[in-house]
Amino acid sequence: MNVNSLRKQFPILVKHRKLAYLDNAATSQKPKVVIDAMDAFYRHENAPVHRSVYKLAANATEKYEHVRDQTRGFINAKHREEIVFTAGTTASINTVVNGIARSLKKGDRILLTEMEHHSMIVPWQALAKWRGFKIDFAPLASDGRLDMAAFKRILSKRTKFVGITHISNVLGTVNPVREIIRRAHRVGALVLVDAAQSAAHMPLDVRLLDCDFLVFSGHKIYGPNGVGVLYGKLPLLKRLSPFIYGGHMIEKVAKEGTTYAEPPARFEGGTQPVAEVIGLGAAITFLQKFGWKSIRKHEEELTAYALAALGSVSGLMLLGPRNAKDRAPIFSFAIPGVHPHDGSALLDREGIAVRGGHHCTQILHESFPLAGSMRASLGLYNTKEEIDRLVQALHKVQKKFHD
Amino acid sequence: MTDVDRDIYREEILEHYRHPQNFGAVKKKTHSASASNPLCGDNITLELRVKAGKVEDVGFTGAGCALSTASASLFTEWLRGKSLKQIGKIKDEQLFRLIEVPITPVRHQCVLLPLHALKRSLPQIT
Repeated sequence: MNVNSLRKQFPILVKHRKLAYLDNAATSQKPKVVIDAMDAFYRHENAPVHRSVYKLAANATEKYEHVRDQTRGFINAKHREEIVFTAGTTASINTVVNGIARSLKKGDRILLTEMEHHSMIVPWQALAKWRGFKIDFAPLASDGRLDMAAFKRILSKRTKFVGITHISNVLGTVNPVREIIRRAHRVGALVLVDAAQSAAHMPLDVRLLDCDFLVFSGHKIYGPNGVGVLYGKLPLLKRLSPFIYGGHMIEKVAKEGTTYAEPPARFEGGTQPVAEVIGLGAAITFLQKFGWKSIRKHEEELTAYALAALGSVSGLMLLGPRNAKDRAPIFSFAIPGVHPHDGSALLDREGIAVRGGHHCTQILHESFPLAGSMRASLGLYNTKEEIDRLVQALHKVQKKFHD
Repeated sequence: MTDVDRDIYREEILEHYRHPQNFGAVKKKTHSASASNPLCGDNITLELRVKAGKVEDVGFTGAGCALSTASASLFTEWLRGKSLKQIGKIKDEQLFRLIEVPITPVRHQCVLLPLHALKRSLPQIT
């Protein structure tokens, strides 16, 4: 993969030539093909989908539904109806959680992990308080991976639902989701895989994983904001209650009551974000054109390089596994005596964009314990030279605070 | 001002961060409250001993960035000896004046964190 020619396809990287953008776990930059696809839709093709019969609307509907087929292929789902477009990962998780919760009873247990994003924890906490569910948290092992022995111990017949992040947005840990799913199914629990991070870094195969639900966002896979995907096994989606009520998600509305549409329409209430879905389709095409093999090769090299480079910074506490094969190119770290906001503000002066804070994982940070960390998260356009610049800038930060 | 003077990471600020004034609990406190910044998880607890309408002693505990710690350090210095009447009139600008350097909007909440704690500890007057 020629990274220099790849970078030219991202207008923002061309405009800010000296910026090392290392905040891809928060949001990735968009290639020209994605921006152009959305621009062309608004300029020449904009119309509502699934409503009107005129040609422009029929064409928009066709394009929108084509992305559903594309997304089905992207994650190897069996049926196109298993692909629901949402506003993003958070909306997808809330849809699953609120739907599942209806069939749960007081005292039922939900199993999450300490490395879950707030978007997995908070919806369950809100419902648990109201409906009397119990939430268990599987802890981490000292090497930054999930403590599988503890996970197995906590998992029981009373566990009705397991929510697991595929790749931690802080630790970069790649979780053994296949094994987790197998074990959860053995006790009769449903499993939701949060693929918000993994969708940008590795191929997803929902049939191989055998997950019940899988969710991710467009904007972290080089696509637009405001669109996400909810995958669910068709028989489960058919039984799942809707979460957003309104137009399009109905079968028939009468004064006596309403019957709901079949999936996916049941979960796509309201006017669809058509341009965003088309942008998502362009992002998927973009990723598939490069192919996972070359993306993986480049990112694995970056991961190994960054692990060694960050490991050489004395006094830097790197979170997550030390072994490159257990992780994605997401690196959170703390420097004792340097608050993450101060550290990231000083890195910004060197033209390096990283995130500082708790990255929506306060429970994970408490376990260290830390109030926050700095995070450098890489994407397919990042380079070893940018990692070198990060390391040099970190030495400068340490000098500033500790001299 | 030169660029160095306008730097939020200039030595005076870092000195307040390393060695904050009034860091610690207050004996026989009459008022106290905590505030936190949801963005970064910073938190501060402010304690006051108010006697005869005046702040006789003031202190803070918690963990924050250089800006919020320096702001708390400078602000508690300012609070000491002030009357409740003076405190009742306090505005956000007062804290930005104490820090002396221009603060970008993304860092405003860092500087204002001690004021949020003060307003919670003296809700009747602020």
